[in-house]
Amino acid sequence: MDFMYYGDILIVDLEAGTTEEVEIDEAWRAGPVLPAALELFRRHAQDNPLLLGSGILTGTTAPASCLGFVLGASQITGGPAVAPLDMFAGAEMKLSGFSMVLIKGNSPDPVYLWLHDGVADLVDASPITGKDTWRTCDAIREEMGEQLIQVVSIGPAGEAKSDLASFSINYWGSGDNAALGALMGAKNLKAVALRGLGMIDAEDPEEFYNRTMDLLRGSPSKKGFDWVSRGPEDEGIDAWLKPLAHRHRSCFACPCACNTFVKYNEDPAVMGSDGVQEPGLMVTNPAAALWLRQGGWGAEGACRAMEAMTRAGIDAVRGAREMSTGPLEDPTEIAAAVEALTGSAGAAWPRGEGAGSGIFGPRTPPQGSEDRWLEVNRAAYVLGICPLFLVTSGVELSELLELCLPAAGVEVDAGGIKEMFDRARA
Amino acid sequence: MRVKVKPLECTGCALCELACGYHWDEAFSMISSSVMLYRGEEKKGYMGVMVKTPEDLFIGRPEGATAMKLGELQKEGASGGASAKPILIREACDLCESAGLEPQCVAICPQEALYLE
Repeated sequence: MDFMYYGDILIVDLEAGTTEEVEIDEAWRAGPVLPAALELFRRHAQDNPLLLGSGILTGTTAPASCLGFVLGASQITGGPAVAPLDMFAGAEMKLSGFSMVLIKGNSPDPVYLWLHDGVADLVDASPITGKDTWRTCDAIREEMGEQLIQVVSIGPAGEAKSDLASFSINYWGSGDNAALGALMGAKNLKAVALRGLGMIDAEDPEEFYNRTMDLLRGSPSKKGFDWVSRGPEDEGIDAWLKPLAHRHRSCFACPCACNTFVKYNEDPAVMGSDGVQEPGLMVTNPAAALWLRQGGWGAEGACRAMEAMTRAGIDAVRGAREMSTGPLEDPTEIAAAVEALTGSAGAAWPRGEGAGSGIFGPRTPPQGSEDRWLEVNRAAYVLGICPLFLVTSGVELSELLELCLPAAGVEVDAGGIKEMFDRARA
Repeated sequence: MRVKVKPLECTGCALCELACGYHWDEAFSMISSSVMLYRGEEKKGYMGVMVKTPEDLFIGRPEGATAMKLGELQKEGASGGASAKPILIREACDLCESAGLEPQCVAICPQEALYLE
């Protein structure tokens, strides 16, 4: 690939402690996109692989081009599952110097993978084994001397291989609701740390850039969660969080700032950085807050519970379902309740809530039918565009697909995406 | 005329950095940008935007916006951010005049957090 991707595919053998770089199969003209990863996953199935990658437009000025992916076998579904690599981690993955990473086998000792500027290192993780995801992120950034490193890590739940385990991205909850965090735990892989100073070239940079500017001018610039709500039962989540709300945050290149930073250890109105070191949490998924609110939790208790789950490396959405029956307020009781979840298998997902969503793992569609949501996800992951942006922004999918020609010199349409997934399944 | 920042409007999407990087490199990267998101204190939810001009560094902090002379910053040993390529060793903002365009960071910002004054 001359355009839109930066570097080769990295194969990491955890058992042998070795790495090698291989070129992407030229048959994948669109690059090392998710269907190509799925094909590699099947080819290396005996090694129980975990793959990280990005979409064609990830890391560019295309609106909401924040999306990368993590792919591996889910111990919940028994098949391949995908989780989003969003916030800044998807773009950093692409800029790290590797277009895709395949991690095979299990390490005999705890390690983390450090990808930076085309260099891959397996680093001893024994000093951070047992640490929660916040301390893990702190330790890796401190060790490498760089505060902008993106850290995909597991906490005690992942190390315990809990069905509730979820990897975190830096300090915040991810969309891993298929227990890929448990897969990392099984591999003795504490974290993947990403940082890169690469450049992404376009086939026709001026045409691509001008088209993305036009799309951004026509995009909404919303803040908060209400605009992505699924229906009346979801409404009012922003008002519920408002007494704690500090600022709204976007993922990389996204004009819509869904994420809400809440403070409960400090006045949310405090804007300086001199105060409390850990003032609160960035709420990255409204579904966890909704479950707790429906269970009668107050916003502060719910946010403390979400922080505790994210620190432990528990999927806050499924964890919130476990905890929603008993509203708590006392931080000590909340911490104890979350600790009790750490090794839990968690309740099974009820039928009809996305448990059959194939490679995208158990996930409730935010709107529309499950089939439509899967179709959107497939396009989103191939493009590297947030699926929530795709279904709510009003920007047409066809307009984003048309960017692939000036971006990478390839034509991609909805039928082509279906063919890619069919080929990966074949 | 210079690019200024309304820091509380910023949501940290980094499109300004990308657009500026494109202006300098005709590629997508944030290594050359004259505008830089300060996101080194992530756990605090603290974030600001810096713009390097030929004379000074305009710093849009949540507490308020200030301009500091480059000489003063260098005397203090400040790097201007937690980055592998600190903003002080990058190109200064030329308001995109070399490309004959309006400042692209201002044009691309979805939250209108950057403006010309």
